[in-house]
Amino acid sequence: MRPVSTNKKNAVIGAALTAVALSLPLSHSAFAESAPEKGIVAFKYLNYQDSQPGTDRIGVNAYSIRGMAPIAGKWSVDVTGTFDSVSGASPLFHNYIGAPTGVTVVSGASGGGSTSSSSIAEEDRKAVDMSVTRYFSKGTLTLGTSYSSESDYTSQSISLLGTVYLTEDKNTMLTLGGSVTHDTIKPNLGSSGDIDGDDDDDRDGHDEHDEHETSGTSASSFSDHKDIVTGLIGVTQVMSKNDIIQLNLSHAQGSGYYSDPYKLNDNRPRKRDYTTVMARWNHYFSSTDGATRLSYRYYTDSFGIDAHTMLLEYVQPLPSGFTVTPSVRLYSQSAADFYVPSNPAILPDAPDITGLEYSSYDQRLAAFGAVTLGIKVQKRFADDWLVDLRYDHYSQRSDWTINGTKDAGLKDFNAHFIQVGVSKEF
Amino acid sequence: MSLIRRKILHGATVALMLFMGNSNDLFALEKGVKAPDFQLTGTQGSVRLADAAGSVVYVDFWASWCGPCRQSFPWMNEMQEKYRAKGLKVIAVNVDAKSEDARKFLAQNPAKFTVAFDSKGATPAHYGVKGMPSSFIIGRDGKVMSTHLGFNASEKEKLESDIKSALEAK
Amino acid sequence: MIKTGVRLAFSMLVCFMGIAGLSGCASVQPWEKQNLAKPQMTFEGDKLETGYIEHIYSSKEGASGGSGVGGGGCGCN
Repeated sequence: MRPVSTNKKNAVIGAALTAVALSLPLSHSAFAESAPEKGIVAFKYLNYQDSQPGTDRIGVNAYSIRGMAPIAGKWSVDVTGTFDSVSGASPLFHNYIGAPTGVTVVSGASGGGSTSSSSIAEEDRKAVDMSVTRYFSKGTLTLGTSYSSESDYTSQSISLLGTVYLTEDKNTMLTLGGSVTHDTIKPNLGSSGDIDGDDDDDRDGHDEHDEHETSGTSASSFSDHKDIVTGLIGVTQVMSKNDIIQLNLSHAQGSGYYSDPYKLNDNRPRKRDYTTVMARWNHYFSSTDGATRLSYRYYTDSFGIDAHTMLLEYVQPLPSGFTVTPSVRLYSQSAADFYVPSNPAILPDAPDITGLEYSSYDQRLAAFGAVTLGIKVQKRFADDWLVDLRYDHYSQRSDWTINGTKDAGLKDFNAHFIQVGVSKEF
Repeated sequence: MSLIRRKILHGATVALMLFMGNSNDLFALEKGVKAPDFQLTGTQGSVRLADAAGSVVYVDFWASWCGPCRQSFPWMNEMQEKYRAKGLKVIAVNVDAKSEDARKFLAQNPAKFTVAFDSKGATPAHYGVKGMPSSFIIGRDGKVMSTHLGFNASEKEKLESDIKSALEAK
Repeated sequence: MIKTGVRLAFSMLVCFMGIAGLSGCASVQPWEKQNLAKPQMTFEGDKLETGYIEHIYSSKEGASGGSGVGGGGCGCN
């Protein structure tokens, strides 16, 4: 992080971006980018429940615990452990939770379950995230690793993130980061056949999608991988005493198994690249001591999905250590190129995919819009205890897309998330 | 694509250069330079740097909202106590826009050294302060002997030895 | 599509940096950062909360990412 040259005027213009970051001027007085003064231990509980008209779908209970400690004024270590438990049923295709005619559906979860639901009866996930940060006079360097495990899925990743102040006044900061993720998928399809039904049902014409099983192995021993490389560059700029903005650009390239093994006729490309541009602006109001936090993200990927996300939060500190934060989030996406729209008229049959190279009925790949309204209340006790409660209500509608072609056959989708947290600094 | 990318990187580089050019304007107080005098209102009447001539002065710029500043207070108390007899005078200049915030901070973090208020920020500007907290050790001759930015536990020893050598200097 | 996105994003970044650099908006002094130092003005929020929320959205929507790197995937999307 130390500069190799202090003569910035003579630096060769046109040098690579990284070289520029390394050749920043450093004043004779050192800069203090110090480790946090206090450590923290935090716990948070999440309850998530979604529903579609007539049915409750997925419910999640999650528990996370985090510990962060500064070490010797120059380092910090941050560890988070998460346990979550998912129950309920995911649709087999579109919103349809049930078996199409001629298909014997076996629950995907190891614990067994209802034969009329397609996917999850009860599924646990455990995840650990760890990171170490080194604080330098002009910036920081963070090395992170994460591991997540489910009965049918494991994910491992390592990441490196650096920040460096570009100016002596610390009003401009550059962020550079990258990560590598390796996932392994091993669906719990059971020995009696998977729900794609290509082994033991007779739905002819639906077999070509299962290229991942061309090796001829039985469904129960099928496994595959997914590898993703991500890069990020960002600039954070102080605009005034009351304004700070940030612009992040990230790009990811992924390859491997992207299909959903628990859905019917789900066969997605083995490559997914995406690019995001994210802009954030925080503004402080002296009159109220409150702040607005506005962010916008544009997302585009090789599946053909374009998405716009806008988030506005207003943080208002109140007497007695209370803080209230209402928020609104607006989202809109277009459909993936290979999304096959629903056809409620032919239920319980799924739309035909004959001749399609790729296909998916997944509602998450359809065009839709979504609105989230949230409120968070936080209270600080005795200076170092923090308790918070947050409620969000999420609504997804195909009608609300502003940049896609809606699928009128999709049902409304709603969810709520409740979070309760407590943390202590020490 | 790679050509375009290179062109864009080139553009980004130029933009970065412009940034760095801006940082040139900042003035930093250097070693051996006469420390600018200041006269400010303190917790106990007027505080003037020139009045401390002949002492070694540890001038600290701090703000109520700065975490490391909070940590530095007990240490400055200790230093003032330990080296008072040898001629050390600690002057902590608060730079909060609202001195009321500083007084709240002082109620929680008692100071056994001189505290002055500069809500207009003229003094830190003269001293070329680059971050919170910043400290300047001024020798008996009124010249800056060392400067320091930030405060954390690992730097206490270095700071103390700087104070010691200033006290011992002829 | 991707190429256009990358190009657009890069030009935006350059433009943004150019504007910020030239307009002299980097004039906020270190002792003037009281408001910027407040917790409500940071971009990093509560880590556990952000973790849950991002996880939920990435498993219910097509888009994900944008604010950082790293973090584990899951079989939920």
